[in-house]
Order: sequence, then structure tokens, then C-alpha cells
Amino acid sequence: MTDQASTEPTVLLVDDNAQNLKVLYETLKDRGYHLLIANDGEKALTLANRHNPEVILLDIMMPDLDGYQVCERLKADPATADSAVVFLSALDDVDAKLRGFSLGGADYISKPFQAQEVIARVGTHARVIRLERALQERNRELESDQTRILNAISEGIYGLDAQGDIAFANPAAAMISGCTVEELIGTNFFELHFRQPRPCSGALWQDDEAGTSESSPGLPVQATCSQGISEHQRNVTMYRADGSGFPAEYRATPKKEGDRLTGAVVVFRDITAELESEQALDDARDLVQEQRDQLAHASRMATMGEMAAGFAHEVNQPLTAITNYARVALRMLRAEEPDPELLSQTLEKIEAQSHRASEVVRRIRGFVRKPAMGKEVLSVTGLLNETRQFAEVDARNNDGGVEVRVADDVPDVLADPIQVQQVALNLIRNALESSRGAGSHEPVEVSASMVSDTMVRIEVRDHGEGLPDDAEQKLFLPFFTTKEEGMGIGLALCRSLIQAQGGEIGFECPAGPGAVFFFTLPVAPATANQGAE
Amino acid sequence: MTDIQQTVYVVEDDEAVRDSLELLLKSDGKAVKTYPSATDFLGDYSEDMAGCIVLDIRMPGMDGMELQKKLNARHSLLPIIFVTGHGDVPLAVDAMKEGAVDFIQKPYREEALLEKIESALEQDREQRKTLGERQEIVRRIKTLTPRETEIMERMIAGQANKVIAIELDISQRTVEIHRSRVMHKMGTHSLAHLVRMVLSVKDLIDVG
Repeated sequence: MTDQASTEPTVLLVDDNAQNLKVLYETLKDRGYHLLIANDGEKALTLANRHNPEVILLDIMMPDLDGYQVCERLKADPATADSAVVFLSALDDVDAKLRGFSLGGADYISKPFQAQEVIARVGTHARVIRLERALQERNRELESDQTRILNAISEGIYGLDAQGDIAFANPAAAMISGCTVEELIGTNFFELHFRQPRPCSGALWQDDEAGTSESSPGLPVQATCSQGISEHQRNVTMYRADGSGFPAEYRATPKKEGDRLTGAVVVFRDITAELESEQALDDARDLVQEQRDQLAHASRMATMGEMAAGFAHEVNQPLTAITNYARVALRMLRAEEPDPELLSQTLEKIEAQSHRASEVVRRIRGFVRKPAMGKEVLSVTGLLNETRQFAEVDARNNDGGVEVRVADDVPDVLADPIQVQQVALNLIRNALESSRGAGSHEPVEVSASMVSDTMVRIEVRDHGEGLPDDAEQKLFLPFFTTKEEGMGIGLALCRSLIQAQGGEIGFECPAGPGAVFFFTLPVAPATANQGAE
Repeated sequence: MTDIQQTVYVVEDDEAVRDSLELLLKSDGKAVKTYPSATDFLGDYSEDMAGCIVLDIRMPGMDGMELQKKLNARHSLLPIIFVTGHGDVPLAVDAMKEGAVDFIQKPYREEALLEKIESALEQDREQRKTLGERQEIVRRIKTLTPRETEIMERMIAGQANKVIAIELDISQRTVEIHRSRVMHKMGTHSLAHLVRMVLSVKDLIDVG
């Protein structure tokens, strides 16, 4: 094509009269045209087919095939249809001209012709045809680009009319649907993919909705076709040509001509594999969560094991008191004049000590319970005081003990109570151990404050041994420990537990001796009421 | 001297245990004094105290073992019964090595505790009686003149009157007079008894 574009326009001269041909030839030669000559209709068709001339000067009155017939056949053949046919005839009546135009002729020159007129008309038509051909060439290039793109896209693409009939489908759409593009064209989208009856031909969707609707409202893409509303849905079941279903994601965009809605463009894909990998991801996440919970539980059990002697003591204290009081009560009963007032006081003391013992047991049971209960709205003060009571089982060997200080403006938080308690207990026990190791008499300070509108920070400070210099990188890594008997699981687990609450955990080296560990928890939404409690 | 009032001193940080133990011991007719911490007891301590201590081995602040050491340093004779928790047996063994009379594990049976307290009080009485006797011996020794003391030391060393007389360059008769004064002042007729008495207070007085 570029070849021809760079060469001269081709003009085919057709006349059964050799004299006429000669005159035409003489008129147009040396004017920048490639001239071809035919002295009958058949030859003209052959040459036109072979050379694809821009302009054909065609005599009407010819034996065998006349000019009309030649023109008809030229226009019928796509290869020659775009040539400009200029009729030449002595017939100078309006009917003849109209007939020529009606057959696709571009122009009409009357014989005897003026040389200048022939030159001018041929020049004009050659230019026009040239431009038209160039334009068509560009269009073809563009179209093939678009086609390549549409073919390459893995998403299915449909062009739908207002009734949902498929006017366009790309190969991916055919592949996903399990049929050919040709089969898709003209099929109704709703009928094929959603097993919904095609709306009555010509009936508008609005009418359907107003009257007895055969298609269920809210059908995917329906709003786009009927009201021009863009849609996007995921995990919609669509059906293939063979009736099998598949999960799909689609986007539907309204197709408009000016203000008029003419249908929709639907981009869709089969998300079976995607859902499977999402499921696999979810499963893996669940497994990780489950294992973390199990580890957390195992760790709580281990903590309880370490604290067993302390708990035994916690339970033995009230039991000892109960035994003593019971003996005292028996003695009182055996006295000659039992004092009922004193006796009932003693029995009340027994009761109080029973509650004390069962409280310890309740706390232990709560702590080792499995699985975790899930997030709750928690009072920070309550949580920390409960944890302190726990930690004091160990703190009996510490001079300083544990002090809890919660700022007045600290609201409730949203977190899993057991897991947060586990983290707080772990940090407090570490702090107690460190204080003990350093022989510190300072208490372990536990405090809570707001760090932002949405986060509460809980801090555990000790005045103990402090942290090694390389703690920064290693402290929260599994299996890193500074303790001889430690496994190094504690802090790594704490981090994982706090992250699961949506918080962060870290440490700071204070100006004085010791260490500061902190973690943050998200403020519970709308805590106005509970916070006042 | 044996009529001295014995008291059971209870040192226990847990209020309920302290209170119940006080009631229990009082209902058994004991004189009881309670202290919530070792420091409190130490502040109240005097040599005149008689009876025994029921001491919780684990307490915040000064623990039972520490109090025991401090009392030992002050030559306290009060017998100590340690009250231990589950798993504190190694600690209790250490306490026994330091001279504790006994230990009992919480929670304990009343009979067992009272039995241990009784025997601790008995031991205290014994110790106190012995101590009284020894103090009497010391008192008597202190009534001797320097010459009589010298003669007594030589008697205990087994020297005959003749040897003492020659070595001190005095007459044998004079030795005999001193000797009878020593026996009289020390309240005995037998040399063997005198030797036993003096040896029993060797640690209290610089004799021999």
C-alpha cells in the first residue's frame, strides 16, 4: 500500500472507440498518472481488479458489457468497489446520469468532453480516492490494534445492547463461556450467563420493572443496561454455554451515544483459581492463628507451671486460715457457754477465706482457658489490677512489689482479655525477675496512658538489670533469651499476640537503671458509657 | 524461775493466717503475740522473751531465714518453728541447720502444730532452767576472792593440797581453809560436782 501511495495514482480509461481512448490518453498523459486502457468491459474489470485504479473513466455505450454493467460489477467486488467511476457518454440526459449515480458512479462527463474538464475531474477524484484509501488504511490499522488488544486480554469482554443481546465478544469471553465468538454474538447475555429469560424484544427494562417482570430485579448488569449505572461485583455465579456454573467478577459500564443509553460493556473473568488461592491463603492464615493460639496457650500453661509453687501458697494461705478458724469454732461450741456472736464472726471469716481461695482458682482457670475468647471491651484498670494480683504470686520474693497507675483519661480498649493479660503478666514477671536479680527494692511500675486518640499505651518499668546492648535487634526474635532457663519464646509470642490485637510492642532504655517495656492497644469504639464505669 | 510466762510469738504476713492462728492458740490457752513482719518482731525483741516463735519462712521484706540469723546473732534462745509452704523443704532443712527446732508445712493439722509448739515451749523451759542454773554458778564464782579463785582453778586442775601449798608458797593449812571456803561458797561437798559446775559455765566466764 505504501508502495502504491508513493507512486502515481492509477487511472483506467475504458472505451470501445479507439479514437476516444487515444484522445483521453493524450489528454491525461504526462500529468502524473499511471494510465491503463481497456476497450471493452471484461478487460476493464480484469485491469481494475489487478491494478486497483483510483479513477475509472468508463464509457457507457459499449457492446457486450455496457458501462452500467461494468460499474455494477466493480461495485459488487470489494476489491474494486472503492474506485471512483466517472461515466463518459454522449447521452446527455438526466435519466442516464441518475442511473449512473445510482449504480455507484462518482461523476459524469458528457461527450464531447473538454480536455480541461477531464483533467480537473480526474485530478479531484484521484485525490479524493487517495485520501479515502489512506483513511481506510489507518482505520484498519487502528481496528487491528484494538482487535489485538481485545484478543490478548484474558478478561472476557462483551458489548451488549439495551436488551442484553451480545453485539461484541472477545476470544476470552468465548473461552470463558465455553463456545465460539460467533455463537456468542446475538445470544442474550442474561439468558446465557444467568439463565434468565430474555426480555421481550423491544420492551424496555423500565417497562419490565413496572409491569410483570420475567427477569428478577437486581440481576447483574441489569442496572447498567436499563439505567446506565456502573456495576462491579465479585463472586457472582455465572453459567457457561454447557450449563455449568463458575464464580465470576465483572464490571459493567454503560454504553452511550450522546445522552442515549444503548447498552453496556461488560468485562468479566472466571475467579475460580483466585478464590481457591484466597481460600488457601485464608486457611494458612487460620492455621497460623490457630498455632499462635495454641502456642499462647502452651505458654500460659508453662507460666502457670513456673508459678505453681506460688499458686499453691496462694491457695494454702486461706486453707490454713480456714482450718484454724474451723478448729476455733469447734472449741467455741464445746465451751460451757458458747458465745454465738463470736462463733458467727468466726464462721464469717471462714466464708471469706473460702472466697479468697476460690478466687485464686478462678483466676488460674481463666488464664489457662482455651481457646482465647476473642476481643472484648476491657477496662484497662481492671485488667492491670487483675494481672498485678497474678504477678504478686511471684512478687512475694520481691521487696518492691508491683504498682499500677492508670491515668484518669484512659478509656476502655478492645482486645482479647486473656492474651493481653498473658502479655502483661509476662512483662511484669520479667521485670520482677530483673529487679530481683539486681537486688532492687524499687517496685515494678505498671502504668497506662493515652498516646493518641485511638491508642492506649501500657508500660512496665523496672529498676533491675537493664538490657544488653544488642537487645535492640534480638529481643523479640524467637529463641533469643538472656535468661539461663528461658526458651526465648516469651517476647516473640508477646509481639505476635499484641499485633493480633492491632497494637505494637517495644522497649526503651530509661535514663536510670532498668528497662521499660510497653505495648499499645486500640481504644474500644464508642467507649463513652463503659469508660465512665 | 519456771513460773515465767511463756508466749507464742507468731510472725506471719498473711492477715487471715495470723488472725486465725492467734484465735486458735488463744483458745488453747496460750499467750499469743502476733507480728505482721519480721522487722516488727525484731523491733519488739528483748532477751526477756520466753516461749517460742512460729515463723513464716517466706515473707516480703525480711523473710524468716533472715530473722533467724539476726536472732542467732543476738544469742536468742527462743525456739523457732518454721511454717513452710509446699516445696519449701530445702529451705526448711537450711533453717534446721541454723538451729530451728522444727518446721511444719501449710496447711497443717492443729494437733501437729500444737504438739510442736508444746515441745518448743518445753525446750524453752529447759533452756531457760539450765540458763538459770548456770547464771547461779557464775554468780557464786563471782563471790570468790582472787585467792579462792586461784585455789579453785588448781583444784579443778587436779592438784593436791600439798602441791598447791608449795607452788603458792603458803602453808598446807591455809590451802585447806581456802578450799573449804570455795566448797561452801559454791554450795557443794564434792570436787566432782564442782568440776562439772565450773565446766558448764566455761563459755560464760573466763575460768581455767
